[in-house]
Amino acid sequence: MSAVCVLTPIVIGSWPMIATAVGGVAASLGFSVATGGHEVEQKKTGNTVETELADSEVITEGVSHGQSITIQRDDATVRIGRDERGRCTVCVTSDNLSKAEMKALGDEVSGRLIQQFTYHKLVTELKQRRFEVVEEHMTEDASIQMRIRFGGSSI
Amino acid sequence: MTKIPEYKIEITNDGQVRVEVVGSQGQQCFELADLIRDIVGHEESRQKTAEYYSQDGSVHIQGMQHGRVRDQTDH
Repeated sequence: MSAVCVLTPIVIGSWPMIATAVGGVAASLGFSVATGGHEVEQKKTGNTVETELADSEVITEGVSHGQSITIQRDDATVRIGRDERGRCTVCVTSDNLSKAEMKALGDEVSGRLIQQFTYHKLVTELKQRRFEVVEEHMTEDASIQMRIRFGGSSI
Repeated sequence: MTKIPEYKIEITNDGQVRVEVVGSQGQQCFELADLIRDIVGHEESRQKTAEYYSQDGSVHIQGMQHGRVRDQTDH
């Protein structure tokens, strides 16, 4: 080893980047993305818990206000959107879960969203700089581990 | 033989990122770490390791003295 760094991601991206990350979140947590390209109306009868990603900004270029993506599972519906300040929000609605369970689910989705966003951003930007992923796997606790090397003979 | 530097990156399920720069020393090592930081976001901590200081990646222990350890009462 030469150096070890610990980093906290900042989620700043366009809506397509967020949407790509949401797709990864849905796949990893057993949700399905609401189909038809239309926002699914939240259940009026369900309880709702909303959290926001602190270090986040959804770039508004080409995004209409209130745009969101909804993912669904048997026990809950989660809407990922953007508030009026541009921050990314995660809103959990459920008839079956308690407030604490919804908060925990919202935190889990938020964490996975940051993870997926960071993964896609890192891989995309490093590939543009001629790096290549030589090994990649997911651990039991759903962490992503990668080895990345410069494509040429030296950096 | 020239080593090809590489990253070992772990992104935890809550989004924290841990990066090891392997096979690189000195300024190049820091530049490689900076590249990841600039893509990802805030740097919480950075720790240099033995290889950072090495010219060839091997670990050297400097300042080793030969002879007996001087007793504090030995003047």
